[in-house]
Amino acid sequence: MITVHTEPDGATVEFEKLNTVMQLLNRMGRKSTRVLVIRDGELLTVDCRIRPRDTITIRDVISRG
Amino acid sequence: MKCKRCKAPAVVALPSHHTAFCPECYLIFARRQVEKAIKEQAMFTREDRILIAISGGKDSLALTWQLLQLGYNVSGLHIDLGIGESSVKAREITEKFCTTFSVDLHVLDMTAQGLGIPEVKKRTKRPICSVCGQLKRHHFNKFALENGFTVLATGHNLDDETARLFSNVFRWDTAYLGDQGPILPAEKGFARKVKPLYRMSEFETANLCFLAGIEYGYHPCPYSTGASFTVYKQLLLDLEEKQPGRKLSYYEGFLKRGRPAFSSLEEEQGDPVLPCERCGYPTSTTVCGVCRLREAMSA
Repeated sequence: MITVHTEPDGATVEFEKLNTVMQLLNRMGRKSTRVLVIRDGELLTVDCRIRPRDTITIRDVISRG
Repeated sequence: MKCKRCKAPAVVALPSHHTAFCPECYLIFARRQVEKAIKEQAMFTREDRILIAISGGKDSLALTWQLLQLGYNVSGLHIDLGIGESSVKAREITEKFCTTFSVDLHVLDMTAQGLGIPEVKKRTKRPICSVCGQLKRHHFNKFALENGFTVLATGHNLDDETARLFSNVFRWDTAYLGDQGPILPAEKGFARKVKPLYRMSEFETANLCFLAGIEYGYHPCPYSTGASFTVYKQLLLDLEEKQPGRKLSYYEGFLKRGRPAFSSLEEEQGDPVLPCERCGYPTSTTVCGVCRLREAMSA
């Protein structure tokens, strides 16, 4: 299982299987230039592969005030 | 994906620059964007005393960190707006950052001055974002001038600047179009104002904060929901998705070819700026908006 936390809303989503960060963002309806994708304290680009049991944070970067 | 400079694994991809960087090279990229902005616009030198408006968000913290790295003489001014948990967190983060990086920080508490935003909101019919912006601009400018700072720097980024430009164009607001830009000279009671992050998007400043180890706040203001400014930002982000690099070319094109024309028009037709009868700070009316607000709050 892959666990995905989203910030700043604090939600958590789980996926059975994902291949790449691009696939994750598509499934979450997010754009790569509007979020940081973080795993184990490091940033990921869209081509990075996602491993089973990964825990990933998606952080929105567009402020609204 | 590989870093364009050193071929190590990339951690940040930037479609708008057709490139990608590893952590070390990304920090070089960000530094160069800021250096280029400072140099091209002749914003300031190492002899200047620079006051940075620090909100506690990623842009103002990234700006402060970057100017420190470049060896500039910077101090911070944080305005505590008194907006519940949002302001408490913003102030905490700002104070922690300034302690960590040894930045001289000044704090103005609006509630203590009878101008806390929740109270102001109850007493004014104007859009609260507009009043809040006016209050902040007034106090940043006043503090800079009264405390011997030669430059006032803000963390406005490319997304802020293009959204504002888009909004001004949509309203054909010639006064705002005439003086929008990354540098405004010191004149008529205004401190010199600069925006050294104008070449960097929000995505780029967020990456800078992450890679520089800067903890920033992302507790949005509860009053900002539905602000038109946010709508314009989203429209431009969608455009940038389809045409990478468009935001920067739109803004730079305006600076080179649009702004001079609007500046000339404003010089001929604009309202004169004069000292406020009450506080002496510049206004286009006899009594400035902040003094009128103070009077309304004490009535």
